[in-house]
This record gives sequence, structure tokens and C-alpha cells, in this order.
Amino acid sequence: MKKRQIAITLGIMCFILTAAICIQIKTMNAASSTVSQTLEDNGLRDEVLKMKERYDNTYRELETAQKQLEKVRQEATQNDETAEAKEQELKENNMLLGVVDVKGEGVQIDLQDAQVTDATLNAADQIVHYDDVQWIVNELKNAGAEAIEVNGQRIVNSTSITCEGNIIKINGERVGSPFCIKAIGSKNLLYGGLERAGSYMDYLRERGLVAEIKKVDDITIAKYSGVLSYDYLKEDE
Amino acid sequence: MKKFKFKFRADITAVTVVVFIVCIVLVAVMLMQFRTVEQTDITEIENMRESELREALVEWKTKYEEVDTQLADVNDKIAEYQKTINGNEESSKLVDEELNESNLLVGKADVYGPGVIVTLTNTNDFQYIAEDLLDLVNELRYAGAEAISINGIRILANTDIVDLFDYSVIGINLQRVQSPYIVKAIGDKDYISSVLNLKGSGFIDRYNKLGRSVSLEEENRVQIPKSNSDFNIEYMQEVTEE
Repeated sequence: MKKRQIAITLGIMCFILTAAICIQIKTMNAASSTVSQTLEDNGLRDEVLKMKERYDNTYRELETAQKQLEKVRQEATQNDETAEAKEQELKENNMLLGVVDVKGEGVQIDLQDAQVTDATLNAADQIVHYDDVQWIVNELKNAGAEAIEVNGQRIVNSTSITCEGNIIKINGERVGSPFCIKAIGSKNLLYGGLERAGSYMDYLRERGLVAEIKKVDDITIAKYSGVLSYDYLKEDE
Repeated sequence: MKKFKFKFRADITAVTVVVFIVCIVLVAVMLMQFRTVEQTDITEIENMRESELREALVEWKTKYEEVDTQLADVNDKIAEYQKTINGNEESSKLVDEELNESNLLVGKADVYGPGVIVTLTNTNDFQYIAEDLLDLVNELRYAGAEAISINGIRILANTDIVDLFDYSVIGINLQRVQSPYIVKAIGDKDYISSVLNLKGSGFIDRYNKLGRSVSLEEENRVQIPKSNSDFNIEYMQEVTEE
């Protein structure tokens, strides 16, 4: 009698435990399946894509509007000499600000991580770092560059070159090796300024990096891909 | 103990019932625990992915809004110019307005606004070099500074900062500057200050830890002079569509 009672109790316990394990496995399965979560993420992803599309469209509209503005401005000022001079200055300002595509003579610098790893050199030295790019850009400015671009990113007044983990960001956009740095200015002065004895270019090559500079007669530099705006600046009269 | 043992042995049914209840409670607790653990893990991953997406969404939205405002602005200007053309009116005033705004950004006008003043001073142990200033300017730009000057020299898109005379002097835009370096920036002063003070990566935090003389002050009115460079354009010309 007692033995039977024990057997029944144990049987029930086993049943419940099994059931519990089954439920547990089910719960885990349901939880780890990413269906519901991916759906939600997909919704968000869609939203991001839509917003990007909206931005792209508006940006194209802005580009057309800016061209139209130039045209009407020119038309409106053509009979007025002082206004015409001012219109001309505005155009020059836009070149200096980096909001229009520009061309002219200059140099092109190709910069690349080391192609063959050299065991005698430090591994970290064999890749192009953000401060290498920053310093080359600084040397170009020193040699009188009027416009500079790194991998499609125009260097404007608000441009920062930063390192975020393994990536370099310029104007908030990711860029990476190989780097193509273009500069407009006197090609001889730019070349001479960067390729002198003991120059930074030399230092880059000593580290095993690819660092080449060539003179170019006609180089085109892209305009800044963002919008120049300000919220805090005021004119001091 | 003995007493218990005796009692238990006396009534096995009672023992099985107790064991049974304990087992159920244990299983229930285990289940609850597993479920909770599992759930927190998932929400963490969900949050991570979601937060990344949300960040991207905010980023694109901000960019879109910027472009949208600018578009409205440009369209307004077109309409105004069109009006002067149609009415044969003076367009000079309109160009003036545009030019003034453009001159602010290009560095041809004195400007003021809220911002920060960072002071770097050489000590016997440490001398600041061009790279340090370049680093600071870069970080200020990253933090959204709208105008920057060092010792009264406006820092613009084409301004270089180099070491001269074997690191004894720093040259900015063909002018010599010396310690103390007073770096002014106009922008969101709270944000700039938080970026520069960021533990581990902020300029102030990094240089303070190295024991260098650096200080930051937030100001409601920072004045930055116009650039004294000539803004000559010799080599570049606008690309015009054919």
C-alpha cells in the first residue's frame, strides 16, 4: 500500500517535471526566435530608409533651387554695377566655403595602408591613421591649397577628421584606405611643400605605407555634401 | 533531528506530499528565473539594434530638416529676386543681405555668440606644439563650433597650423603665436564643453591627466575677429555646367 503511494507520487512528480522542462524549452524557443523582433526592426529600418530617401530628394531639389537662385540673382543684378560686383563676391565666397564644385591645377596624393606586412615594422604604424590624413591636409593648407578633398569629402570650415574605432570619419561620413587626397593650388608649390627632404610623406613611406603625390593640370574637387548652417553666430557691428 | 526522522518515517505519505510540494515550488522558481533571464537578454539585443536604428533615424531626420529649411530659404530668395526683376526694382539690397550672411561664414566679418574659451599654457615640463592645437581645433569642429580663433587669428577652412624654428614657435596662417594659446570658439557652449571634457577621449580630460596646463571656460559672449587673410583666389574656378 505504502509502496504504491510512493510510486504514484513519484510518477506525478516526474510528469510535472517533464512538463516543466517542455514548457521551458518552448519558452526559450519562442524567446530566441527573432521573428517578432525582426519585424519590429524592419519597420524601423523602413522608416530610416524612407527618411534617407526624403533627404535625398529634398537635397536634389535644393541643388536645383540653388542653381536657379544664381540665375535670377545674375539677371536681377546685371544692370547694376555695384550689385554685380557683390554678386561676383558671393560667387567667390561660395568657392571658398566649398559649396560649389571647383577645378584647377593642383596635386593628387594617394595614401594606402602597407601592402606587404613588414615584420620589422610596428603593425600599428603600417595603417593610415586619422592624424596622418589630418597632417597631410594641414601641410597642403600650408603650401597654399585653395580647395581640398579627401575621398569625395570637401574640407570646409566645419570639417572634422575623427577616428571612431577602426574607421575614420570626415564630415561625419566614413572613409577608409586607400585615400585619394586632391588639392587645388599652384601644383609646383604644393608638390614642393609636401615632397621635401624629411617631409611627412617620407615619414609615411618609412612606415611602409604607400604615399605618392603627382602634379595634375586639371583636377576637379567636389562640393561639400552637407548644408552649411549656423545657429549661434551673429555679426558684431 | 531525531524526533523529525522518527516522525517522517512514521508517515511516508506526509513525506511524499512535502517533497512533491517542494519540487513544484522549485520547478516554478526555476521556470520563472529562466524566463526572466531570457527576456532581459532579448530586450538588451533588441535595444541595441533598435537604438542603432533610432540613432540613424534621428540623424537622417536632422539632415532632412536642415536641407528642408535651406530649401525654403533659397526658394524665398528666388521669389524676392524674381519680384525685383518683374518690378524693375533695385536688387542691391537683396544681394547685400546674402553677402552679409555669406561673409559671416567665410570669415570676412567680426562675429560673436555663446561659446567657450580654452587656454593652453606652456610649462617648464611641457610645450604645446602645432599638433596639439590642430587636435583641439579638430575637436571643436567635431563639437559643432561655428567660428574659431587662436590668439586673435581666425581659423578657417584653409588655415594651417605648423611648428616653426624647431618647435619654439607656432605659425598660424603665416603669423607667429606663442603661449598662452587662447582658443575661442562660438557654438553650443554646453555641448562643446561636454565633448571636450569627455572622460578618456575629450581634449581637456586627456591633457589634464597628462598634467598639462589647460583650462576651459564657458562664456555667454565670445568675440571672434574677422580673418586678416586676403581671400585671393588664383587657381580654382567654379565648375559650370555646359
